[in-house]
Amino acid sequence: MSVFDGLRFRKVYSPIHNLDPRIKFVYVIAIFVVAILFYQIIPLLVLFFMQIPFVLLARVQRQWLRSLRGAAFLATFIFVVNVATTYFTSGYLLTAANVENAAAMTLRFVVLVESFSVFFLTTSPDHLGLALEESRVPYEFAFAFTTAVRFVPVLAEEAQTIMDAQKARGLELEKGGLLKRIRNYVPVLIPLIVSAIRRSLELAEAMESRAWGATKKRTNLYLLKLHKGDYALLAITVGILAVAVYVHFFVSIPTIASLL
Amino acid sequence: MAIIETKNLTYTYPGATKPSIVDVSIKVEKGEFVLITGPSGCGKTTLCRCFNGLVPHFYQGELKGEISVSGIDTLKHHTYEMAKHVGLVFQNPENQLFALSIEKDVAFGLENVGVSREEMRKKVDWALNQTGIYDIRERSPHEISGGQQQRVAIASVLAMEPEIIVLDEPTSFLDPLSAEKIFEVIYRLNKEQGITVILVEHRLDLTAKYTDHLIVMDEGKVRFEGDPRQILSSEETRLIGVGIPKATLLYQMLKKEGLNLGDKTPLSSEELADQLLEALSPQ
Ligand SMILES: Nc1ncnc2c1ncn2[C@@H]1O[C@H](COP(=O)(O)OP(=O)(O)O)[C@@H](O)[C@H]1O
Ligand SMILES: [Mg+2]
Repeated sequence: MSVFDGLRFRKVYSPIHNLDPRIKFVYVIAIFVVAILFYQIIPLLVLFFMQIPFVLLARVQRQWLRSLRGAAFLATFIFVVNVATTYFTSGYLLTAANVENAAAMTLRFVVLVESFSVFFLTTSPDHLGLALEESRVPYEFAFAFTTAVRFVPVLAEEAQTIMDAQKARGLELEKGGLLKRIRNYVPVLIPLIVSAIRRSLELAEAMESRAWGATKKRTNLYLLKLHKGDYALLAITVGILAVAVYVHFFVSIPTIASLL
Repeated sequence: MAIIETKNLTYTYPGATKPSIVDVSIKVEKGEFVLITGPSGCGKTTLCRCFNGLVPHFYQGELKGEISVSGIDTLKHHTYEMAKHVGLVFQNPENQLFALSIEKDVAFGLENVGVSREEMRKKVDWALNQTGIYDIRERSPHEISGGQQQRVAIASVLAMEPEIIVLDEPTSFLDPLSAEKIFEVIYRLNKEQGITVILVEHRLDLTAKYTDHLIVMDEGKVRFEGDPRQILSSEETRLIGVGIPKATLLYQMLKKEGLNLGDKTPLSSEELADQLLEALSPQ
């Protein structure tokens, strides 16, 4: 249908989607920290594979693979730069250990991307907005966030309508060089901006009419409550951190090269 | 005492050269169903904005004359204070819903004034039920039809339990069937909950039958106010550009031709059908 289809959020229910976004965020940060803690490839591989059950439980494997593919270019770049630097600094020697090191650095990056993408793929915007509201983020920000998400599909649809209308009048969007193509979009952007401004005025009017700013002590229809699954994830997170710290200080991690 | 009363209300938007409403003096009693109509640009929306203080607090500009709504002088009180008394429903349903779920939108006003969660839940569910959208309360506004969106907008002002609901052309974006459903919801709120309703509409065909207080505006002024049967049968009303119901027009044509259907001017097809049947049936 529309080129903006990917921007539309969908409600999905899965054990992972239902988790409290705050706990999920803590989990992601913990993975982040552990990934920074290790530079050896074995623990990073373990971290990488540990995310897969989450992805499968949440049934977001397709989107997840897509985000990994998106990171592939940067990952290759990191790998090449790492190999090259060690190659030149170690006097033009290419050892297995060096390649393994570079692979570990790359894997660290992939783990970071992977865990953040699991978070964003499995947290619905209203959950995220609610988490923002319940953290000490000023309500205005949380409101701006959810309202922006609310209007993404509306504006996308409008952009599509305007594009169709301008095309019907002979506008050719896909013609010319890069600069020309960018300039082609001006007749689409201007009506879109004008209408967005009008829309925002109407929104402001509607907000005022519904007692926006009546009291500093705003209440909330929903309350984020921790369930069994959240406590389980919290326990897993603490477990991961504990094991990671123990291994980091008390276990000497072999490299794959030395094992072979 | 009248629930809404204005005296010589005149308002000019900032930067405008001439006032958008001029010397408007109207009176609305508690529990009434008032219909406001008139050609585009005659100041209907502007008048609605006066009822909850958007004019002049939000729009600035110069307001002269007197206005009292629910016994409150809107000049001296903010729009957020008026929200408990007057609910405004706007023309475009899409631009008055901001949340990602319908029930969250309905709760928006109550959250703003700081109602406790338990009480909020009750009021939200009540408003959802009154407007017939309880079953879709968890959907997002983008997933529902325009008619449903407009019912959400009505529910979201209804949840505040206002004495007055003002609807500014609530059906101009809707198909006739959804429009009729909206009117039925409004009519029921007026009859069963005793909420005073002010409805701005062009579709008199569908709405004239609900009211016995019609206000016709033109060029910022109130041109006619009173019994719709009388106003809609006058020649002048038609010349201003008010969409007279077809049934009323037909009645007048038949009357001119000498067919007497009784003294009561019909406002809807149903009323005219009854009169015709009565006239045509052999005694
Ligand atoms: N926000 C505004 N700023 C300046 N002028 C306005 C604004 N809104 C409406 N007007 C003007 O006020 C007059 C009455 O408009 P409006 O109340 O919207 O009429 P209606 O709702 O009957 O179509 C029009 O001439 C219009 O141009
Ligand atoms: Mg209007």
